[in-house]
Amino acid sequence: METKLIKKELLPGIVRGLAEDTLVYAPVQEEDNIMFRVLEKDMEPILEFANTKNAPKNFFFPQAETMMRFLKKERGAELLEVPIAAREAVLFGVRPCDARSFVLLDYVFDDPKYRDPYYVERRAKTTIVSIACVRPPYSTCFCTSVGGHPMSKEGADLSLVDMGDTWLAEAVTEKGEKLLQNMGDLPGADEAAVTRKNEMAEKAAEVVKADVPASTIKPWLDENFDHDFWNKIHIGCLACGTCTYLCPTCHCFDITDEMKKEEGRRARSWDSCMYWLFTQETSGHNPRPTQKERWRQRFMHKFKYFVDNFGAVACVGCGRCVRYCPVNIDIRKIAQDISKL
Amino acid sequence: MENIEKQLREEAGKLLSEKKVDVLIGYGKGTLPYQAVPTIITEPGEAEQLVWNPFCTVNLAKYVHDVIFQHRESQKRVKPEDRTKKIVGVVARGCTTRSIIIHLQERQYERDEVVIIGVPCSGYVSKKKLWDALEGREPLECAVEGDTVKVKTQEGSRSVALKDVLSDSCFTCRYNNPIIFDVMVGDPAPPMNPEAEYEIVDAFESLPDDERWAYFTKEMSKCIRCYACRNTCPSCYCKICFVEQSGPKWVGVTIDESDTQVFQIMRIFHQAGRCVDCGSCVEVCPMGVDLRRFLKKLDKDGYNLFGHRAGESLDSPPPLSERSMNDKEDFIFEP
Repeated sequence: METKLIKKELLPGIVRGLAEDTLVYAPVQEEDNIMFRVLEKDMEPILEFANTKNAPKNFFFPQAETMMRFLKKERGAELLEVPIAAREAVLFGVRPCDARSFVLLDYVFDDPKYRDPYYVERRAKTTIVSIACVRPPYSTCFCTSVGGHPMSKEGADLSLVDMGDTWLAEAVTEKGEKLLQNMGDLPGADEAAVTRKNEMAEKAAEVVKADVPASTIKPWLDENFDHDFWNKIHIGCLACGTCTYLCPTCHCFDITDEMKKEEGRRARSWDSCMYWLFTQETSGHNPRPTQKERWRQRFMHKFKYFVDNFGAVACVGCGRCVRYCPVNIDIRKIAQDISKL
Repeated sequence: MENIEKQLREEAGKLLSEKKVDVLIGYGKGTLPYQAVPTIITEPGEAEQLVWNPFCTVNLAKYVHDVIFQHRESQKRVKPEDRTKKIVGVVARGCTTRSIIIHLQERQYERDEVVIIGVPCSGYVSKKKLWDALEGREPLECAVEGDTVKVKTQEGSRSVALKDVLSDSCFTCRYNNPIIFDVMVGDPAPPMNPEAEYEIVDAFESLPDDERWAYFTKEMSKCIRCYACRNTCPSCYCKICFVEQSGPKWVGVTIDESDTQVFQIMRIFHQAGRCVDCGSCVEVCPMGVDLRRFLKKLDKDGYNLFGHRAGESLDSPPPLSERSMNDKEDFIFEP
């Protein structure tokens, strides 16, 4: 695979250039938040940032989308197809943790048995460009504890590394190589640059200090669904959806039919296991009646069920849920507390 | 501050060991240096976990309501003659006691079901303002010394004036000391700056309609419908919120502009005469939506039209729960 060098001052122009004929989704400053947004003509992509507020999953798996429409008829309904909105796109500036989230989401949405055409079509048409964390941005980062690395290329098609006055651009897949060729005539990276990058990667991993026992707690989780430990972890939880909505790997959704007079639509929207309505049944029964069961579900889904189903922990260690939880319930601490039991 | 914390732990331990309360709601130490965690303790020994500092943020009255209602739910399966009350202790600053007053006025629970440990308050640190003051650098260690917050970041140590990072609500707080309490720890805190309370509303009211609407739509477009604002609000205690009702369905589930706006408008209006400006909704919002400006407008109207401030005293009934012969009715004829 090709490895090139891009001069620092050239990259913003290259990204804006891509946005002229392709859909580009990139981090932009929106008041106090850095958000992934569709890059419009007058928008400036941000290349130096800690991490975005929202996870990039929205791009393949939008918070809400219409699956079909229907018209009420005298007898029954007429169903109207809604084509999947997917076109050639570039998802630019994804942190390595978030890029890895797509590998995990692929297990769910690109399962041979239950293939989700909405996710899969967008994913297939998109080239993902990651920006490595030469300096891991937050003390709440814990990618190295969940199988990631601050300079991992997993999930990316093209990886960018900040080398000071240049970006080292490394194609990871054929899609990435094609994109790199489209970026114009760029000089190749020499041996020395690659060696320096490898040294930086070692240093970067050392900066991520968090030691979250994400996989070693699995045997305990297998045995202790009813343990008293679960009685306390949810105390203080507001039952809001901040953790799940900002999480790059949370992927639960709900399907709702909405009617307006004679017209209706079937919409898919994000759901959250933190909500009381999540498994509320029509009968009035809820198998997860209190926040305790809901929290256990969130934790188990990430560190046990997903491992059972797909062989990986459903967490990439981005730390968003830790930083933005309104009441500071810390998933790292829960894992650490379990490892001490 | 340390002194108040010490007394607080003593009082909390005493209430639990003397069985005057079954549970006690307070703040505990968080894993992040700028955040305390709402904590519920049941054993006297656990009182040592309690903290009191400017990082104690969310209004704990929400948890008082939650705990009492969860207990009542569990009592439904108990024979009526065997049912018990659960007495809840709570660490309460001014705004928390105002919310408790609203609960009592709205007959959510009885005064004898809650034991209030009053604490004086000089405001809490808004984590958004703290991050902003540090220009996005992460606070790795924080300590409040007098009127300064000393912060350690990766780039070295910084000092930030406490008043620059206090929540907007605290800055103009009128009731920073508890209004009702059973035990008080510490001396009353000096007043904040309530004269400036409605400045943001006055400025906003003076804008033309289209600018106000543009501001509203811009702010609401940030909302991701996580419901943190609603869930932290002590006045948002409806068992089933209108957004979750399906027969009839009041509002769509998506983040379409109209769905988000309807959710927020209806939630805000549901706070008429009931918002104590504790700032919790603003503080918990992960997206930084400016909810306060709109809530404060209702608060101002409540005061100007009915002379009412939410939860200011047990004896002042909320305007929407009371009828008086002197009520203005000109709006009926001149919409």
